[in-house]
Amino acid sequence: MPSFMVHVVIENKPGISDPEGDTILKDLVLKASFLSVKKIRTAKMLKFKIIEKNKSIAKKKIHNLCDELRIYNPMVSKITIEVFDD
Amino acid sequence: MSLAKQESAYLEKKIGRKPTSTEFQIVAAEWSEHCSYKSSKKHLKMLPMSGPNVISEKGYDSGVLDVGDGYVVTVHIESHNHPSAVEPFGGAATGVGGVIRDILSTGTRPIAILDGLRFGDIEKDSHARWLFKNAVSGIADYGNCLGIPTIGGEVEFDKCYSDYALVDVAAIGFGKKDRLIKNHANKGDLVVLLGGPTGRDGIGGSQFASDSLESENRSAVQIPDPFIEKLIIEAILEARDEKCINAMKDLGGGGLSCAVSETADSLGIGIELDVNNIHTREFGMRPDEIMISESQERMLIITNNKKLKKLKTICKKFRIQCSVIGTVKADNLMHVKKGSKTLASLPTHLVANAPLLDRPHMVPKYLKQLPLNHPTPKNQNFTNIILKMISSPNIANKNWVYGQYDYEVGIRTVIKPGRNASVLRLDNGKYLAVKIDGNPKQCYIDPRQGAIGCFEEACRNVVCTGATPIGMVDHLQFGNPEDHEIFWTFLESLKGITDFAKDFAIPCVGGKVSFYNETPKGPIKPTPLIGVLGIIEKQPLRPALINSGDFLVIIGETKNEMGGSEYLEYIHGFIGGNCPKVDFKKSKKNMNIVLEIIKKNLAKSVHDCSKGGLAIAISELCMNNRIGCKISLDKVPSKKLKNDELLFSESHSRYLIVVERKNLNKIKKLLSEKNLDHDIIGNFGGTKILFEKNLVNIANLNVEKLRLNWMNSLEEIVVHG
Repeated sequence: MPSFMVHVVIENKPGISDPEGDTILKDLVLKASFLSVKKIRTAKMLKFKIIEKNKSIAKKKIHNLCDELRIYNPMVSKITIEVFDD
Repeated sequence: MSLAKQESAYLEKKIGRKPTSTEFQIVAAEWSEHCSYKSSKKHLKMLPMSGPNVISEKGYDSGVLDVGDGYVVTVHIESHNHPSAVEPFGGAATGVGGVIRDILSTGTRPIAILDGLRFGDIEKDSHARWLFKNAVSGIADYGNCLGIPTIGGEVEFDKCYSDYALVDVAAIGFGKKDRLIKNHANKGDLVVLLGGPTGRDGIGGSQFASDSLESENRSAVQIPDPFIEKLIIEAILEARDEKCINAMKDLGGGGLSCAVSETADSLGIGIELDVNNIHTREFGMRPDEIMISESQERMLIITNNKKLKKLKTICKKFRIQCSVIGTVKADNLMHVKKGSKTLASLPTHLVANAPLLDRPHMVPKYLKQLPLNHPTPKNQNFTNIILKMISSPNIANKNWVYGQYDYEVGIRTVIKPGRNASVLRLDNGKYLAVKIDGNPKQCYIDPRQGAIGCFEEACRNVVCTGATPIGMVDHLQFGNPEDHEIFWTFLESLKGITDFAKDFAIPCVGGKVSFYNETPKGPIKPTPLIGVLGIIEKQPLRPALINSGDFLVIIGETKNEMGGSEYLEYIHGFIGGNCPKVDFKKSKKNMNIVLEIIKKNLAKSVHDCSKGGLAIAISELCMNNRIGCKISLDKVPSKKLKNDELLFSESHSRYLIVVERKNLNKIKKLLSEKNLDHDIIGNFGGTKILFEKNLVNIANLNVEKLRLNWMNSLEEIVVHG
């Protein structure tokens, strides 16, 4: 069976504040005069290596795993999953 | 967001027209149970709220106690149950933030945090473990980042909190009496919003807290930012010193709607504000959203034209935003505009005072169905039972929890968490002892006696450090108040607390009522929580190491009061029995004698006897000091009790005193003179805890083995399931 890399990005839902991103923007980027930068959002990424039949099964497995194990809190965060050939 | 039919009708009748959408949102937020106390306000008046040390001022969000030499201590308690149940980390952290700002709003510096945490059965329920783990991290993260020590609290697990969490936070402040903010405002003064920007987070939070938690599909999540909070604290305290603040209020439940209407109402003024002036995080927020947003880390300040420049300089120094959002009027109206367009114009008195309810109440049916007689199996192996209880989540050492908190930052913490009450050093040479206590198991089988018991337990803990109780805060947590039976349990608890407070002359200086604590499986058990503050004029009793040859003296009678005990519920799964009752007269006598013993320096340490009964209290003394003890149960003051009752009954008003041989006769004389229930029940020494009755050994425990279980079992459960 083929092997895949699955990237899971966990970030706060839009509209929910992100103090870390705000701080990087205000206290680092804008202070250093990169004034064209308007917004920074932080996120966490998990990279899974998984052996499955195909991409869609790999994606589904990882999604279920994240839900079941409370890898993220669906109340606050959303996840985006991308699958790559390993 | 909603109003009940009769509330809408009342509102329309009072203003003589249909409310605008903004008005409707403002009123719905302010008239929610969470903000208006509409079910409880009528009854809360029974609590004694004044006393020689109590300083009250209009618009204060926290209780203020005079501790002499020109200093005051402030205290407040709040919960963040609903938000913590869906997002434990952020919910618990923002709970800490909210109560800290209440302390700040009187003009005092927050110096300590205590938290009471309650979750489902973590031994069996992985969701409860997840909630517990993350709530503790949230509190630790927020408190540690702020540099405010989390000095104590309590943790309890019970099935009734399954899929739910009770996160109660109490905070203590300290400051100079002459620096307290004397809330006042004059026509033409400016209304300033200071702190983080207003965003869409937490929209409808107070309304959310007033609904039962039936589904997770809510957007009332608040994201903590402790670093902004720290800047706000420093900026506010500097602004206070520069006399830039006429009046101040923190933005909590109900957001701006609540802060503006309550401030205006308490000061007898009107406030006109323009939503265009409020700094927002997102573009395109509707005015209604701005008015009810519960974004954290914001303060409302009333200042005047002359001081505005100074205030702005201070804010700039600390890099926090502040915007002038409105002005003070003399018309007693809350006037919300967007540019020149009026969105809301309501009498502040109407907004801030929801029509109060007189909810019906009824004795719960379940009380009559509870069995009175507990099982007493023959030939029980008490050694194994004590070992099992010591390792149970409710009794196990909570170092896994408080080990994550910085409890020493600020170098005031003299007696650290893990003992009876925690003790803080104050600048005038005195010491402050604080403890919070709750007991849902006892409150379930007898809401009145249970609540009194929590109160006495908190007092006992404070007394064990040598402190005299000077004030209390209560946090009353119940299910849906529309349920007549639940409302009865609320009233009973409140009456019990009132009786005790009046009899002991301990004023209630603050508190909170939290209703609608319900899970899909039903209401929580009645969970009143009592926080007691005590003052020590000279030195606290710092527990000294127990040596071989020291004696164990007990004060107080052990009775057949097994109801709601850890032993019956954890070992036998039995709910019912006799709830422990406090005999006010004896309780007072025992407290006084313990204080006298401490004052005369006759005790090495004093420990209160509560959860788990005598067996657990003695074991704790032995484990903390890594020493054995031989206890003769025949000596324990009691009337014809069985062995399990002697060991595990949770009767109140009992204290364990560790005495050196040289002081033994003095203590004996003192106790005999006062005619109190007491006796010498044990001798310390060796490596074993031996309980004997009629010279027969009934339990034999190795202290080191017991200690390992006690210290490590909670972490084992949390980390390894």
